[in-house]
Amino acid sequence: MRPGEWFEARTGLGSAIAKALDEPVPGGARWQYVFGSVLTFLFMQQVVLGILLAFYYSPSASDAWASTAYLNDQVSAGWFLRGLHHHGSSAMVVVVVLHLLQVVWAGAYRAPREVNWWTGLAMGGLVLAFALTGYLLPWDQKGYWATQVATGIMGSVPGGGGLQQVIQGGPEYGNLTITRFFALHVFVLPLALGGLLAAHIALFRRHGVTPPAQLDDAELKRKTQPFWPNQLFLDVLAMTICAAALIGLTVQTHGADLFAPADPASNFVARPEWYFLFLYQLLKYFEGPLQIVATVLLPGAVAVTLFALPWIDRATSRRASARWPALSVVGLLMAGVTALTALAIVEDARNESYQHGLVVAEEEATRARKLALEGVPPAGGIAVFDNDPKQKTRKLFKEHCQACHTIEGRGGEEAPSFDDYGTREWLFALVRDPRSKRFYGGTKAHTTMEPVPASAVSDEQLRATVEYMLSLAGPEVGATDATMVAAGKALWDSTLECSGCHEVEAGKSGTGPTLAGRGSAAWIARVIRNSAEPDLYGDTAEMPKFADKLSAAEIEALAEFIHSQGQAKPAAH
Amino acid sequence: MSHERDLPGADPHVMEPEDLSPEAASRRKLLKLGVGALGCGLAAVPIVPALGYLVHPLRTGPGDAGAMLAVGKREAFGAVPVRVDLYADRRDAWSRESNVKLGSCWVLERDGALQALSTACPHLGCAVDFDVGEGKFKCPCHRSAFDLAGKVEAGPSPRPMDTLELEENNGLVAIRFQRFRQGVAAKEPV
Repeated sequence: MRPGEWFEARTGLGSAIAKALDEPVPGGARWQYVFGSVLTFLFMQQVVLGILLAFYYSPSASDAWASTAYLNDQVSAGWFLRGLHHHGSSAMVVVVVLHLLQVVWAGAYRAPREVNWWTGLAMGGLVLAFALTGYLLPWDQKGYWATQVATGIMGSVPGGGGLQQVIQGGPEYGNLTITRFFALHVFVLPLALGGLLAAHIALFRRHGVTPPAQLDDAELKRKTQPFWPNQLFLDVLAMTICAAALIGLTVQTHGADLFAPADPASNFVARPEWYFLFLYQLLKYFEGPLQIVATVLLPGAVAVTLFALPWIDRATSRRASARWPALSVVGLLMAGVTALTALAIVEDARNESYQHGLVVAEEEATRARKLALEGVPPAGGIAVFDNDPKQKTRKLFKEHCQACHTIEGRGGEEAPSFDDYGTREWLFALVRDPRSKRFYGGTKAHTTMEPVPASAVSDEQLRATVEYMLSLAGPEVGATDATMVAAGKALWDSTLECSGCHEVEAGKSGTGPTLAGRGSAAWIARVIRNSAEPDLYGDTAEMPKFADKLSAAEIEALAEFIHSQGQAKPAAH
Repeated sequence: MSHERDLPGADPHVMEPEDLSPEAASRRKLLKLGVGALGCGLAAVPIVPALGYLVHPLRTGPGDAGAMLAVGKREAFGAVPVRVDLYADRRDAWSRESNVKLGSCWVLERDGALQALSTACPHLGCAVDFDVGEGKFKCPCHRSAFDLAGKVEAGPSPRPMDTLELEENNGLVAIRFQRFRQGVAAKEPV
């Protein structure tokens, strides 16, 4: 007995496959029958790709983004497989719609195929549920904020609050949200879709294809071809075209987006995936108590209409001309969805703040993903920004300086505030009132400098003096007004009493800090190292010496950071 | 096709026996070949990139031996083995952790010099214990036993306990942590 026969005798696999393939197609193989097969192919490909992604993806609020960034940006071909999976969901939605339109056009929803029509509609719903649950899994800004909207809608429906909490695993997003969405996306939905697909195919085999209505029985019989290989060849050709389009799209977009990690404190420009834009657009027209019209009533009515299509269609003939009511209903639906989608796209294209938000989001994504190459700290997600040297310095400041110095309105008042540090305004206010809490008012010993009231030095004179003091700091402080500097120097040399305590030349020291280089990053670094140097604060110094506590690089970074507080700030992230 | 034709009763599953002309037969053969070729191409789309993707961890190669890690003062160690944990910063796939436990080793003095023995049993990696009563190292999993020098006295371990590089500097002891391939006679870093 040959091995093939031995195996066949025990399993019957060969005859089972032969039976599955040996299906007559009345009227012959046709292109319009390919959509179901293409969808089956896409689903199988999504399953394979999803399993592959699971080899690297970790579903937790701290690891989801970091593991996605790792698989996308570091693992060989990770971007390609993830890109195919991402665009594959779009392809499924497109082919679901084409399949539905073909079925409607052919009248295949009619008796005796109603149950098959319903299983198909249910699977279409599942495809959307896949998209919705999968969108959140990377835990990036886009998925996080777009899904917030979806679950928010769930919660806004009467009695939906409980459902929302169950779905998201509590009153807010966290680890349980991601484990739930993950469980739904990779276990529940695939099993449900697989089961429905089996039923769908079994029912299809029971009733056969729905050939064009104008062909009569004799012709159908005469033109009959076998599924294998005639129809299957067309099916596989269609799958190949679909796969080629997917590969092209994936390469062209270099895979799927991955925005910066989810940040609950940010204001991200959230948009759903393109095939949900019509619902998003619909939401704009129904406000307040009417919102439920857009979120539940209209979508619900559409679903009910589609499910009831076999009864809406009362025609006795399956010819398209006899079924214009049913065809118009579906046609109008499609036109509505298309129009709403187009409106959403056009409005966004014209929305400058949205376009700007996108640019900012892209920049932040690039920055986060570059930082993630160094590894993400265990806190995960936005902790990736701790890799940024600026962020590290900020952390250093928080640890060593913020107990006494204020920054961005937060911190101690035992020492001068660094908000707007070194600006003209800062220096002006300091000279006017050095004992204010903003400057030395919170210190123990820096009471030596007397306030300089407007009665002694006018605002105009003081502005010139400040300009002169800024010019002493050196070129890095930025352009100073030469006329004012000259006026300030004249005042300093003749009228003012400042020089009694403050020297202006480097190397000299008075009771107050020498002003040469004052306020520059190098000067700040010297203060951080040892503020008790004679040309700095001398014996009035209270600040700890950091020369031995921090590295030279850390001190320089801190000095640069403090110095930058008075500089024009880049757009906040 | 009439509406009635769709109703149960009519069995669309019966195909008439066919007499294919030679051209039709060769056309079908061609279609079958086409299905096979395209099908293989479709399968290759995810499978080919998946090969490199799945074996990506192999690309990292043998682990970097890492830095000398401080474990304590010289006086802390003597003839009786002391177990010390080794801490360092670590990259683990996507995460970067600072000061986490990498593993541990036994440190003891022999003939006036300190030596460090990895707690990972060379057999299959269980953590080797020290039996104070018998003065021997013992693996709790498969009964390997080692003397104080780490030499195999009993059990399946294919080689002595793995020594780790140890350094004394100004009364401070530092050890370089490394893992070695299990189950083989030669000591090869992994």
